[in-house]
Amino acid sequence: MQNSASAQQIEQDVLAAMSRPSRCYLACILLAGLLFLGGMALWGRQIALGMGVAGISHPVGWGVYITDFVFWVGIAHSGTLISAVLYIFRARFRTSFNRAAEAMTLFALMVAGLFPLIHLGRVWLAYFLFPYPNQRQLWVNFRSPLVWDVFAVSTYMLVSLVFFYIGLLPDLAIVARRRPGPVGKIYRLLTLGWVGSSQQWRHYAKLYFLLAAFATPLVASVHSIVSWDFAVSIVPGWHTTIFAPYFVAGAILSGTAMVITLVIPMRRLLRLEAYIPVTHIEAIAKILLLTSLIVSFAYIVEQGLAFYSGNLFEMEQFRFRALGDYRLLFWIMISCNSLLPMTLFVGRLRRNLAYLFVLSLLVNVGMWLERFVIVVTSLARDFDPYAWGNYTPSLTEIGITAGSFGLFFLLFLLFIKVLPVLSITELKER
Amino acid sequence: MDRRQFLQMLGLVSGAAALSSCGSDKGQKELVSLLVPTEDGIVPGTEAWRPSTCCECPAHCGLLTRIRENRPVKLEGNPRHPVNRGGLCLRGQASLWRLYHPQRLQSPLKRQADGRLQTIPWSQALAEIAEALQHSRRQSRQNAWLAGRTSGTLNALLEEFCSSLGIERLAEFEPFSHAALRQSYGLLFDRADLPRYRGDQADLLITVGADLLETFLSPVDYTTQASALAADQKRHWLHLEPHYSLTGANADDRLVLTPGSEGSLLLWLLQSLASQRRYRGRWPQALQDLLPASDLAATAAATGLRSQQLQQLASRFARAEKPLLIVGGVATGHRNGQPVALLGALLQWLTALPWGGMDFSAGENYSRVGSLLDLEELSQRLAADRIGVLFVSRCDPVRHSPAALGLQGTLAKARLRVGLADLADDTTDQMDLILPLAHGLETWGDTEPRRGVIGLLQPLRTPQQQALSEGDLLLKLLRQATGKSPAADWETYLQRNWQNRFSRVQLGQLMDDGYLTEPQPQLSIRLDLARAAKALQGLHLQAPLTLPAAVIAPSIRSFDGRSRSLELLSEIPDPLTTISYGSWVAIAPQTAARLRLQDGDELQMKTAAWQSKQPVRIQPGQAAKVLTLPMDSLPAPATGIDPLTGEALRYCEALHLKPTGKRHRLPILAGSPSQQGRGLIPTPVHRQQKHDQQNHGPRASFYPEPHYENYRWAMAIDLQRCIGCSACVAACYVENNVPVVGAADHLAGREMSWLRIEPFYDEQGRVDFLPMLCQHCNYAPCEAVCPVYAAYHNPEGLNVQVYNRCVGTRYCSNNCPYKVRRFNWWQHKRTPPLDLLRNPDLPLRSKGMMEKCTFCLQRIRIAKDRAKDQKRLVQDGEATPACAQSCPAGAIAFGNLLDKESGIYRLVHSQRAYRVLAELGTEPAVHYLRPE
Repeated sequence: MQNSASAQQIEQDVLAAMSRPSRCYLACILLAGLLFLGGMALWGRQIALGMGVAGISHPVGWGVYITDFVFWVGIAHSGTLISAVLYIFRARFRTSFNRAAEAMTLFALMVAGLFPLIHLGRVWLAYFLFPYPNQRQLWVNFRSPLVWDVFAVSTYMLVSLVFFYIGLLPDLAIVARRRPGPVGKIYRLLTLGWVGSSQQWRHYAKLYFLLAAFATPLVASVHSIVSWDFAVSIVPGWHTTIFAPYFVAGAILSGTAMVITLVIPMRRLLRLEAYIPVTHIEAIAKILLLTSLIVSFAYIVEQGLAFYSGNLFEMEQFRFRALGDYRLLFWIMISCNSLLPMTLFVGRLRRNLAYLFVLSLLVNVGMWLERFVIVVTSLARDFDPYAWGNYTPSLTEIGITAGSFGLFFLLFLLFIKVLPVLSITELKER
Repeated sequence: MDRRQFLQMLGLVSGAAALSSCGSDKGQKELVSLLVPTEDGIVPGTEAWRPSTCCECPAHCGLLTRIRENRPVKLEGNPRHPVNRGGLCLRGQASLWRLYHPQRLQSPLKRQADGRLQTIPWSQALAEIAEALQHSRRQSRQNAWLAGRTSGTLNALLEEFCSSLGIERLAEFEPFSHAALRQSYGLLFDRADLPRYRGDQADLLITVGADLLETFLSPVDYTTQASALAADQKRHWLHLEPHYSLTGANADDRLVLTPGSEGSLLLWLLQSLASQRRYRGRWPQALQDLLPASDLAATAAATGLRSQQLQQLASRFARAEKPLLIVGGVATGHRNGQPVALLGALLQWLTALPWGGMDFSAGENYSRVGSLLDLEELSQRLAADRIGVLFVSRCDPVRHSPAALGLQGTLAKARLRVGLADLADDTTDQMDLILPLAHGLETWGDTEPRRGVIGLLQPLRTPQQQALSEGDLLLKLLRQATGKSPAADWETYLQRNWQNRFSRVQLGQLMDDGYLTEPQPQLSIRLDLARAAKALQGLHLQAPLTLPAAVIAPSIRSFDGRSRSLELLSEIPDPLTTISYGSWVAIAPQTAARLRLQDGDELQMKTAAWQSKQPVRIQPGQAAKVLTLPMDSLPAPATGIDPLTGEALRYCEALHLKPTGKRHRLPILAGSPSQQGRGLIPTPVHRQQKHDQQNHGPRASFYPEPHYENYRWAMAIDLQRCIGCSACVAACYVENNVPVVGAADHLAGREMSWLRIEPFYDEQGRVDFLPMLCQHCNYAPCEAVCPVYAAYHNPEGLNVQVYNRCVGTRYCSNNCPYKVRRFNWWQHKRTPPLDLLRNPDLPLRSKGMMEKCTFCLQRIRIAKDRAKDQKRLVQDGEATPACAQSCPAGAIAFGNLLDKESGIYRLVHSQRAYRVLAELGTEPAVHYLRPE
């Protein structure tokens, strides 16, 4: 019973975040909302006028939209990693992040899911991409990785949502208990009749573990399939077997970076320093360092393969990446994803939150650029030299990308006011 | 009443209600009735082919016009026509854009005092002209008629018109007047006309400046000749020029000489040939004595060629059985033009005339064409206020006269200036009255482009506006001015003339075939020794031009500039530079390096009297101190007049070159001038490498091999024959309603061409052209990645695109190694009335869809339907895509690969056949025959 006082304290501290919003918070919501609306307006304009408002062209048929898609799917990755994989491995520092990471996963997936639609030339026919029964007997092409994408992303979305929700049930009951009035009733409804009996807890633990086990292979599968969007093609720079592990590592790198980006300010603003100790953040930073090393290895392998292949198309492609028109982006990418994270070998820097925050932002930039470099440079220099051509994003594409960040932060800001940002029950267990 | 009956009744009643409410007064006019046969016999959905003649340039190729729903929708070369034999150039294809041009002049226009144009009725225009004619006669001013080259019955009517109204018919004006050539032939042979050169029969063709493939006399004819020459390994074609032209690019050998030095070269050639035993007998000693001295070293110095090259040239020339030398084009457009033409004619007399290499009996009908000297005289008369009414018909002298002539200023002195044109140009901008002319496809008429060849014009579309044919206009004017006219209308006049001239059989032939040939008496050409001697005495060769010099070169896309306003021709890139819209100057890589210029950097070219600023395009193979300025880049493409011949001078010498530091965005469509060693057009080195790579053994695949029952459509493109003229590209645009998107989209890399010509230069600056279109692969990378089966493989091997199923992921385009798929970035609309130019056999494409070459599926469909009606399979040659049909060089063949007797089967199994990027295993259906 000596824990009950501190349990009360935990409940109070965590739920304090859900109190009446401050002006600063409202301003942030407004900003994010405006960005999102601006992005949607630009999308509307694109639907009305045609894809010509984007900078994509011939031969570069995919640009910022696909970059954004892969970027957001990547961000969505570490939620499952931190929640499910670390849960199975019983890594205790997980509790500091898992709720935020899971929420991030969901929101990033929502944002990511928009981009395949945004990039479609005829989005009003997007339902063609689903295998639905119809009298015209039209079917989707299961040889196309784009169809695999539809399944991979929707499966991941579904599992992540269930996992998030199940994990949330006991906490929802706490919120419902502490909130009187109609709001509490809504929370009560959402608990699906959770009373916290030992039988419920037993079932809960089993289900949660099962879901964690179920979600774990998805960490590998989703981004592997996303990488096959590229690897299955014949485009030099895309068509390579290392893409699946390379993309998964990259996804975890960008996901952990995004977790750091979100958690450090959240910890400070919501005064959760006691519950998210620096050592836990340091553990995440180590994952970041590890995945950064894997990604760097992939960079070296890629260039090496091209160099040794004797394949003119591959060689020109990788020469172009490093020395061609987009070389600046390539070298920023190398700096952000490979060189800067190496500094995390130094323990003091790993524990310096300000440094980690800046680094995580830079890794996010680097990972976005990585996808941009892969998508764009490969298309810009493929087989027929006559058809070579460069790509510059248009304002529409930049605006919609900004809008996607707006949507993401909007959802995240709403999340921290509506749901407990840390797993109260797990904190109590700790 | 049971349920069944109720539904029947309901269906009947609602059907009747719907049908009866469909019509409206307005609607009936616009809808083609499917139930009631129309009065004009047009059956919706069926095509008709009518013969006609192309009027886009003076060559007048024979046409077959495809009519759908009372509208011409496609032009094709008439396969039996003696001028073009089935081929049609890109300008001919684009001629329909003139017919439906949004800026076509629609009614008579009168210039107001403030310079603006006002629409007036025909009656007022005619009355004003008649009054002005009378007025100037009273004031004893001369009325004059200046026209472009005119032939056939219109010539007769014009003669009658001018004589009965006392109008002086001025020498006809053509920017490419070939005046120097005609002058020499007139002087030496007493035939001041242009012969038909028989390059098809020569075993050695030497062209000096004459751009046979682009604008010289009859480009489609000469393209056909050149392709026959190219296909024969034993025959040789050598081209000499200072700049880089498409003609030079396609000759077996291209020798670059200093501009203006052609005369020295010809003189030396004449000297060395005349001393050969073979020609010594024919060459009169009297002339030999008069020939100015010439030696190898001096000639080499003047021309910039190596002595070895010169000797090789001379010995080759001397050895040839049937040598043919053709001079012209830029070689006669400088101050040495007269000696070049004269020496050229003497060489022709010595070498080509004996074996019949020049056919004066089939002369090109240029005898009434004048030169810039005539224009100069007109300008002087105008300045002296001696001209009352001046008519300018079908020509643009303002643009094509040198600024020094001051025609723009002197024109103002005429009392009334009347312009006859279909589109506004620099000359109509100076006119008081502008009368709209009908297009060649809207009127009756005949032409005689070459002596003995009569081509038919017939109305295939009623003029939508008030445009009149020139014949009708003349008759109306005659009636207005004199009160009587020789015929009620032009058609009657024409019929009467034809009946007088032709037999019933001939007339039937003219109507059915669209052309008529009349045997011409053989002309014997004799050299007038006395005049030749006199001319040689007066021969004065001036020094070659001072470098750096700019050559103002004609363009295959616009002829002399007259086709400039057809947007389709700007959409199709220049074959050598791949620039589509805008102006430029082509410079050598060395010059660019020296001046630190890159593509698009602005260069100032300056002489004392002339200057121009143009963005540069680096042209591999260009001579170091010679610049190529396309005629269309300049507001006035003639820099002066050669006082000896009246030719326009098309050079600027002793240029001062200075980069201005400005940069333009040029729509250069080629991503790279070289094929980057990729063997898209294999070199011998590549052939060896490819051979090693292709021994992979059988293909491993999860999926079944494609199986074809009756047809496997395939194409073979002979790169040896392909000259890069882009006629196929234009044909494809028109046949397939390919959107024309304009300069902005070209700069963004969004051109929509289904077929493009890719020029690839080697280190020596030699170029090969690779027509690139959908390869219809057996294992198409686009098909596998389409999530919705919009790209799919049909049972005849065609890679088809189901437009309505396409959702627009663009993955197919990304995964296409040939990059031939085109995405609709916008909803493309054509400005009316250009929207009428639409092949109704094709489905509409809207924004967000992918499209690409279909091997002209609709034409295959027509052939298959016909075959099905006759219960047989499609035979070889029955289905031809538009590109193959239009190719003047006969480089594209199409057919069914399963038919072992077919031409395509033979070509695909030829020694030279290869497939582009074969190492990718896509197994394209387009086979290329490599150049040798």
